[in-house]
Amino acid sequence: MGDGKPDVLQGTLDLMVLKTLESMGSLHGYAIARRIEQVSDHTVIMNQGTIYPALLRLQQRKWIKAAWGISETGRRAKFYSLSKLGRQKIETETENWERVATTMARFLAPSS
Amino acid sequence: MDWIRILLSRCAALIHSRELDADLDEELLVHIELATEENRRRGMPEEEARTAALRSFGGVTQTRESYRMKRGLPFLEALARDGRYALRQLRKSPGFTVTAILTLAVGIGGMTAVFSVVEAVLLRPLPFKNSSQLVSLHEWIREDPHEFNVTAPDILIFQRESKAFSGEGGYISAGYDVTGAGAPFHAAAERMSASVFPVLGIDPLLGRTFTLEEDTNAAPVTVISYALWREGFQSDPGAVGKTIDLDRRPYTVIGVMPQSFEFPLDAGRLSHRDLWVPLSLTPVEKNSEGENYDYGLVARIRPGVSTAQAQFDIDRVITGIQPAYTMVANLHLKGYFRTLKEETVRKARPLLNVLLGAVSLILLIACVNIANLLLVRAAGRKREFGVRLALGAARRIVLRQLLTESLLLSAIGGVLGIALATVLVRAAAVALPDSLPRLDEIAIGWSLFAAALAFVAATGVLCGIVPAWAGMRTNVLDSLRDGGQAAGTGSARHKLQSILVTLEIALAMLLLVASGLLLRSFAKMLETDPGFQPQHVLTAALSLPRHDYPTQQRVDAFYTELQGKMELLPGVKSVGFSSNIPIVGQKGGRLITPEGHVRSASEGFLIASTYLVQGNYFQALKIPLIRGRVFEDRDEQAGAPLVAIISQSFAAKYFPGKDPIGAQMKIGTKFDSPMPAITVVGVVGDVKQAALDQPTVVQMYEPVSQAAAALGPMAAMLGVAGNMDVLIRTAGDPTLLAATLVKIVHQLDPLLVISNVNTMDEIVAATESSRRFNTAILSAFAGIALVLALLGVYGVLAYGVTQQTREIAIRMALGASRGVVLLRTLRYALIVATAGVAGGLIVSIGLTRFLSSLLYGVKPLDWVTIAGTVIVLFGCCALAGFWPARRAASIDPMQALRTE
Repeated sequence: MGDGKPDVLQGTLDLMVLKTLESMGSLHGYAIARRIEQVSDHTVIMNQGTIYPALLRLQQRKWIKAAWGISETGRRAKFYSLSKLGRQKIETETENWERVATTMARFLAPSS
Repeated sequence: MDWIRILLSRCAALIHSRELDADLDEELLVHIELATEENRRRGMPEEEARTAALRSFGGVTQTRESYRMKRGLPFLEALARDGRYALRQLRKSPGFTVTAILTLAVGIGGMTAVFSVVEAVLLRPLPFKNSSQLVSLHEWIREDPHEFNVTAPDILIFQRESKAFSGEGGYISAGYDVTGAGAPFHAAAERMSASVFPVLGIDPLLGRTFTLEEDTNAAPVTVISYALWREGFQSDPGAVGKTIDLDRRPYTVIGVMPQSFEFPLDAGRLSHRDLWVPLSLTPVEKNSEGENYDYGLVARIRPGVSTAQAQFDIDRVITGIQPAYTMVANLHLKGYFRTLKEETVRKARPLLNVLLGAVSLILLIACVNIANLLLVRAAGRKREFGVRLALGAARRIVLRQLLTESLLLSAIGGVLGIALATVLVRAAAVALPDSLPRLDEIAIGWSLFAAALAFVAATGVLCGIVPAWAGMRTNVLDSLRDGGQAAGTGSARHKLQSILVTLEIALAMLLLVASGLLLRSFAKMLETDPGFQPQHVLTAALSLPRHDYPTQQRVDAFYTELQGKMELLPGVKSVGFSSNIPIVGQKGGRLITPEGHVRSASEGFLIASTYLVQGNYFQALKIPLIRGRVFEDRDEQAGAPLVAIISQSFAAKYFPGKDPIGAQMKIGTKFDSPMPAITVVGVVGDVKQAALDQPTVVQMYEPVSQAAAALGPMAAMLGVAGNMDVLIRTAGDPTLLAATLVKIVHQLDPLLVISNVNTMDEIVAATESSRRFNTAILSAFAGIALVLALLGVYGVLAYGVTQQTREIAIRMALGASRGVVLLRTLRYALIVATAGVAGGLIVSIGLTRFLSSLLYGVKPLDWVTIAGTVIVLFGCCALAGFWPARRAASIDPMQALRTE
């Protein structure tokens, strides 16, 4: 059951969300999507909607938690923040990602 | 661990799905608004800001859909959707739905109930610790086909010598008059080695069980059953240590067994032991030489010891026993064992297997019937499937939909079936014949529900698969053309229906033949002459305690006095006493050798059922005297010559062509022995020692006063025969005499317990109950099967007539008479009946032999029964076909063609 082996892209988005929440604290979905666009300097081309299934996935794993709050514009919005478990997981997920990245880099490096 | 968290959250989401949908909608709405606002702040006009926000979001509906797929359990949700749709479909045709559900409820309910009984009696391990290691030992003699238990000395030899077993113990049933625990009563007891309780591995609820010393020293201690503790001591925890009287001797209660404990596990409801006392073999028992093989021997096989090793060990021990026997020299004693479970359930197996087989057939017929009805419905819904397939539904979706419908039917039928099964199981606990063991273990429990669930699933798939397959193969083009009346698929479907109906008839025929055989057996049993006249006979059991009646003379004097007082009463014709009464079952027998009889090599020993009688026994039961005389007063005089009366079949078998009166016999396996000779003085008619449908055994009667003398040097084995059945022939209603009997017995001995007061009619009826039950239940099953099969024939024909209205109308318009139309429809019923009967004949010939152990006086291939069944089936099929045929014949061609 579940996504035992997330593909790299999905994992990427999850890690981006986690990192965003780690640095920014509690955020609503739109802010997370915007923040990812900004940090990636708009190199990540994604539909903002895809953030929501990712948020659900992370919630189901209890890595993040959600609560309704009031946005900066005074609207009711759902805010996401890291859970204790999520904080622990960031470390291992980061390591995993770095390992993949280094491996990929090795493949992509011009053979001399 | 992640997957557990995900699964839990998905399950939780199922429950709040509506709330969560609203949440998500709001969240997405906020997202779009925030984005629109930001765009506007950047200076975009209102309209453009919103469009841009939606564009960068990228598909609200897709997001919602993929979110939902991740959130709940899509599989379950699809199932619920299919289920709702199926429910709507079923509600549309209530007639079909109710028929199908009731059929399935009967099938599943019956199956579940019978399975629960089979599980409790046959499959469940015995209620002892590691019960698969427990075995029961038996002995037999190479020269004789009978199977024995063991003798008293052999218990001690096995305990001493055997190596394959970690423990073994002997037991033999006994009866005691109990006072001091509620009202005085005659208790069913078991004398049991101290080792039996530890071998079985069951601890007492209170107190303790016997010690080895108590067993060896014949200590007056007893362990009582839970039921006796509850009723005799009102569940008093202080019952242990109290004293009760067994046959007027004080015994100390040392333990109470738990409620579930029962040993030995005999058949029937009244077989429970009230108490257990140490086996404490008497010196006479220890020194006996194989006259009494009625002792049970239970043992626990050591872990790791194979069956072959255990058998080898038994052979070794038995070989050591042989030379010790002088009386029955030159016999080859053999030993073997079977598991205690097999010992307990093997006699129950044939009946339960037949019941399980019969009820499986019913369920199968029910499934076939519903498959047929579903096929008919599927034909009517061909257009619906065609449209769905044409609109791009995958074929497996149609299959899933149809299977969901049949599973839903079987689930609803299953719920009703469980209700039915709980009623049936409760009824079974009361109605099942006493020939079955472990009846107390039959209960409504998880195993029943688990079984019902399995049957529901199997049934749903079984009755759904054929119609679903047919539905899946719907030809899109054909089904959409002209109202879905394509000829090709229609006839294929019709062929499939005919095959299913034929199958139903064949299966119903098998059940009808089985019930016919049992009905014929039952009739044969009722015709059987018991050999005595049970009407107007009252019987009761008395057991004179050994300590107050230490000699046979004292016992005989008591019974003579009782006879004298009773026979003075008006309305009493004759009074007799016997150690056994007919019809209740054979209790052992005696090895007899008639003078001059030469045993052929293949012939077994002559083991005669022996009744020790006193008073006017033959007159009381009206057993006809054929030659010679019955016992007289002179036979009871001290020193009178030893006499015996034999049964007609005894005379015919062992004195063929000779006058048996005056012939001599001896107890034992050879005439050349120190045993005293016994003279035959009379021949009486055969009686049924056990139930009417059991074989008659050669029978011998001795005056009880001579019983000890006839045993010669082994007289001590018999001891004093104080337990007698009283038989009183009356002029009127025998039950009116019961109170007087009790009063007169108490005049003679106020402490005596009088048990089993019954009329002989009641006793005979009780022995018929087991066959009555088998016959009734199998006939009921056959009836249900027949109704279901006829429903199938009727359904297919009725549907066929509706489908062919136009064709029939054209035929009639072209000049076919109503008679021709009627016959044409009836012909179909007779064709499927013929095919079904042919199939049924083949399976019946193949399968009825499994019934042979339940038959009496009828062979498994009884052509009368088979012919009768064939006639019944043809008649019923013609009847089931007649209504649709008449409807076909009454079609008005003009009207039918106009409406088309």
